Amino acid sequence: MIQFQSVSKHYDTHTALRNITFSVDKGEMLFVTGPSGSGKTTLLKLIYVAEKHDEGTISIAGWELDKLKESSIPLIRRNIGFVFQDFRLLNNRNVFENVALALRIRGVGEKELKTHVFDSLKTVNLRHKSDSYPDELSGGEQQRVAIARAIVTEPTVILADEPTGNIDPDLSAGIIRLFKDINTKGATILIATHNRELFRNSGKRVLKLDNGNLVGDEKG
Amino acid sequence: MTSYAFRLAIQSILHEKWINLLSMITIAVCFLIMAITALSVYNIDLATKTLPEKFSMMIYLKDNLSSEDSKNIINIVKKDTAIETVRFIPKDEAMKELKSFLKNTEYVLEGLDENPLPDSIEIKLKKEAVGPDSVKKLSERLKEIKGVSEVEYVEKFLSSLYSVKVGFKTLGMIFIIIISVGIIFVCYSTVKILFYRRNKEIETYKLLGATKGFIRAPFIIEGSVIGFSGGLLSLIGIVSLYYTIILRLSLTIPLFKSIIFPAHIALFLPLAGVTLGITGAAIAIGRLKY
Repeated sequence: MIQFQSVSKHYDTHTALRNITFSVDKGEMLFVTGPSGSGKTTLLKLIYVAEKHDEGTISIAGWELDKLKESSIPLIRRNIGFVFQDFRLLNNRNVFENVALALRIRGVGEKELKTHVFDSLKTVNLRHKSDSYPDELSGGEQQRVAIARAIVTEPTVILADEPTGNIDPDLSAGIIRLFKDINTKGATILIATHNRELFRNSGKRVLKLDNGNLVGDEKG
Repeated sequence: MTSYAFRLAIQSILHEKWINLLSMITIAVCFLIMAITALSVYNIDLATKTLPEKFSMMIYLKDNLSSEDSKNIINIVKKDTAIETVRFIPKDEAMKELKSFLKNTEYVLEGLDENPLPDSIEIKLKKEAVGPDSVKKLSERLKEIKGVSEVEYVEKFLSSLYSVKVGFKTLGMIFIIIISVGIIFVCYSTVKILFYRRNKEIETYKLLGATKGFIRAPFIIEGSVIGFSGGLLSLIGIVSLYYTIILRLSLTIPLFKSIIFPAHIALFLPLAGVTLGITGAAIAIGRLKY
């Protein structure tokens, strides 16, 4: 599903990723961990083509990113669901519209859209909050809305960058449980986090990054 | 997608109502100035177009020409391709016309033993032949005919009228272009501000896989709505101006009666607004990058 072969990414002043090689199977769930500045976010950015790698090859769901035209970027992103630390919800739209946005972008009709949005909100247990606006919700609820938006299109890959970074530690376990449930339905999930508690004893694969180098690939 | 883009555009217009209203009013004022300029140019052009029907030249013949000579001259004149109609005025008829023209001041002709007026030919030109250069050339051609003593026409008036017409047209066009650029700039600035304000939202769209068309569409619609509204407001403005001011003034000042309101051109204003609005919005969005 995801393949990195000797991938490096350089910025003007430093190297963010150095000679990274790994692959992720379809339906796998794994954590990418490491201290701040280790290259976790850059790795995710390379996957959703927000940044371009300088060396090596990357393949996502059959797309060779080296040969990717700019016009194909939206198509590859439609196969990916995103969950960010800052949620990236639109405050001027209610929960329903925030989740529906991902489907509207794909041109899904109103009837089908409603079914999918409510199903998705049900999965994250927020069906009753569909008319609320993001600033009326708690941090945990906002993150669940972001997850609902990520899964509503039934993407093949879900990327989560520090998904529990802005929420109460007590709620973090619930968010991870939610990802595990989604994973059981077949989605490939990559979660970048520096919080070891999230993957300790999870039985899931953990990629460890340090200063741009892949220093570990083991079970959590 | 289209209906959603329309919905987003209308929501944005209502949400940012003050900035949009200000832009619409600015555009309306620009269009109003443009419409007044176009109205002036149109009426000047119309006035000069009726000139060829009224324009005539007089050919004065030398004294003592035989009727055969006069006929020959008339035939030569008739053959000129620039001439539409030819009317021979014998000296006696000319005197009669002069007397009827003088009416109560006919006494100035008392004491004249002989008719001093020459035989003459009044010619009217074809529409396309009425112009300062072509009339001058025709006058020179006519002067060369044997038996012609003089050719008269209002040369200075004709050339200055045409200069005014060309000058007004050119200035009008330049003015209209400048105002059009101004309108594009207003739409550009408005959409640019809205675009920056929604930058975070646009970034989210990009991450969710939105195409450039999906991102651009609401802004393009917004630009066209702003332009259309500005054009429509100016149309209402120019119609009100015409019917309340010009028609009222024409009751006391006859010159205003001749001002014509070209409705078909005025209806063009909202359409021009849409075009300029879309242009401004497209420039404002520029090249989107993922």
